Amino acid sequence: MTITFDAESLPALQEQRIQHPWRKKTPVFTWSVVLATLIPLVIVGALFIWGDIPGALLMTVVYLPLQLIASGFAAFATRGKRGILDSVIIVNAIGATIFSLVILISVIGSLIVRGFSALSAHFIYQNNVYVSPSTPLEYGGIGHAILGTLLIVGISALIAVPIGIATAIYITEVRGRAVPYVRFFVQAMSGVPSVVAGLFVLTIIVATGAFEQGAFAGGLAYAILMLPTVARTAEEVLKLVPDDLRTGALALGSTRARTVFRVVLPAARTGIITAIILGVARVIGETAPLLLASGYADSTIVNPFGGPIAAVPTYIFNNVALPYPDAVARAWASALVLIVLVGILFVIARVVGRGRLSSK
Amino acid sequence: MATAEFGSLDEVGEVELMDSEVSAPVRKETEMSARDVSVWFGKRKVLEGVNIDFPKQTVTALIGPSGCGKSTFIRTLNRLHELIPGAALAGSVLYEGKDIYDRDIDPVHIRLKIGMVFQKPNPFPSMTIRGNVLSGLKLSGMKRSDHDDIVEQTLTSAGLWTEVKDRLGAAAGELSGGQAQRLVIARALAVQPHVLLMDEPCSALDPASTLKIEETIRELSKDVTIIIVTHNMQQAVRVSDYTAFFLAAENEPGHVVEQGATTEIFGNPQDQRTLDYVNGRFG
Repeated sequence: MTITFDAESLPALQEQRIQHPWRKKTPVFTWSVVLATLIPLVIVGALFIWGDIPGALLMTVVYLPLQLIASGFAAFATRGKRGILDSVIIVNAIGATIFSLVILISVIGSLIVRGFSALSAHFIYQNNVYVSPSTPLEYGGIGHAILGTLLIVGISALIAVPIGIATAIYITEVRGRAVPYVRFFVQAMSGVPSVVAGLFVLTIIVATGAFEQGAFAGGLAYAILMLPTVARTAEEVLKLVPDDLRTGALALGSTRARTVFRVVLPAARTGIITAIILGVARVIGETAPLLLASGYADSTIVNPFGGPIAAVPTYIFNNVALPYPDAVARAWASALVLIVLVGILFVIARVVGRGRLSSK
Repeated sequence: MATAEFGSLDEVGEVELMDSEVSAPVRKETEMSARDVSVWFGKRKVLEGVNIDFPKQTVTALIGPSGCGKSTFIRTLNRLHELIPGAALAGSVLYEGKDIYDRDIDPVHIRLKIGMVFQKPNPFPSMTIRGNVLSGLKLSGMKRSDHDDIVEQTLTSAGLWTEVKDRLGAAAGELSGGQAQRLVIARALAVQPHVLLMDEPCSALDPASTLKIEETIRELSKDVTIIIVTHNMQQAVRVSDYTAFFLAAENEPGHVVEQGATTEIFGNPQDQRTLDYVNGRFG
């Protein structure tokens, strides 16, 4: 028998509403999920209220295994044996995500809790002159330290970013004979402890009298730390640029230099900006090199060669261990400011790096 | 006649090239020739003793099964071969009477005169459509002021103008595969090459785009000498005046089995292997 498709025998097509047939669930499925979610929560909640067990222990030793078992039963009830492994992987993945989020939130939360009393508008722009550890929180701020951090990080970026990108270009584009050695040294450099970078600048630059302690010397120390991060990230990013583009440019009669600067680097622009961000993030919280290379001051200094200068990490270091609650609060608030500062820099870099060609 | 300016695109050459399927084309002056070209990758010889002449303003098709060294050969013609680590070469490639591998020849100059279109469309993603067409001028340092004219003429030659004329400022990444390949052809034309090498330019394209590019090739051959690698036998018949058939026996370097007018190679091949290949019996 032949099957014929007779269009006229079908009823006229009604206007259809948006539907999601794959979202339909059976009652067994819904109930399994509800029970698998609720039962472990109820048990752990009861233990937390009536039992005398610390919360962290309860979550890791009781809740996670209970949830795994409950999800396993739910998966078995809905999908049979195949579902069990799936549910184990999913529960563990979600658990790990929540775990790292909890750590992140508690770090930022503790900064807010302990530093909140010191946070105010003048805390951002005033400096620390005429402020002693016992001065009330109505006075003083870390404007000088924020400026110092920006100055030092800016100087180090000016030094490390061009050298780092040039290193990456040497490794991926020039492909000279020294590539294995350059790569090895970059790798070795990324293992340099930050205090060593500070000591290096202190003995080579400051102790010899070439430059005194200050933003420039601090920037040099930061640049030593920033360089390997920028170089290695930029190398990875340039490797991702397809070779088709390079040969394409060369086939148009381009020199190798023009190929790199007009085709390869623009194609890798967002990645290069990521490399710079990672470099800045690597150094911005480093304290030890600055203690040695840039010193500390309470006044606002804008001249990179103008003597010892404060930065946010050194300000925190100087205040956090003092026996005055207000000084400690100021240190915690400064740490919060530092995190927000990094966040702002990231957003700026992302906006700058957004492709102009993303749409018409 | 040297390479004509773009203005003379509609001028008819001294031979009606579209008739090549009927009668063998008249011999023309030689633009390029390969003399005893052998190629190695490391110690492995992949191509042996290739001798081919490429007459001016004609289309030469290089055909043959995969792995016979066609693509390798075409890359020796504009010195892209040497960019591969381990590459080696013997013999000479003559262009304008001189060996392009002479030590006083700048490969950048050679690549400017002998352009190339690759198998995979490779428009520059960081540039606009217009920027891509003009990129060759910027990359090679050519000074030309009539940018608008160049964009319109080359995109028209490549058969893309009507599709993109209203969005020249759009990102090149928005184009479909066939459009991107025609953009790349326009880009190659903007630097006014004398020779255009095409390495399977249509293998990733749909039939409609392929047809357009074939028309473009026929049109361009009035001005430019074209050498095209293709796996598509019908395409070789449709677009080329001359054909060279490459073949490599197992574990042996590739060589040219037979070459000559396309009509001869496809209509009356002298070698049994050529006959088998063009009739689709192997490869």
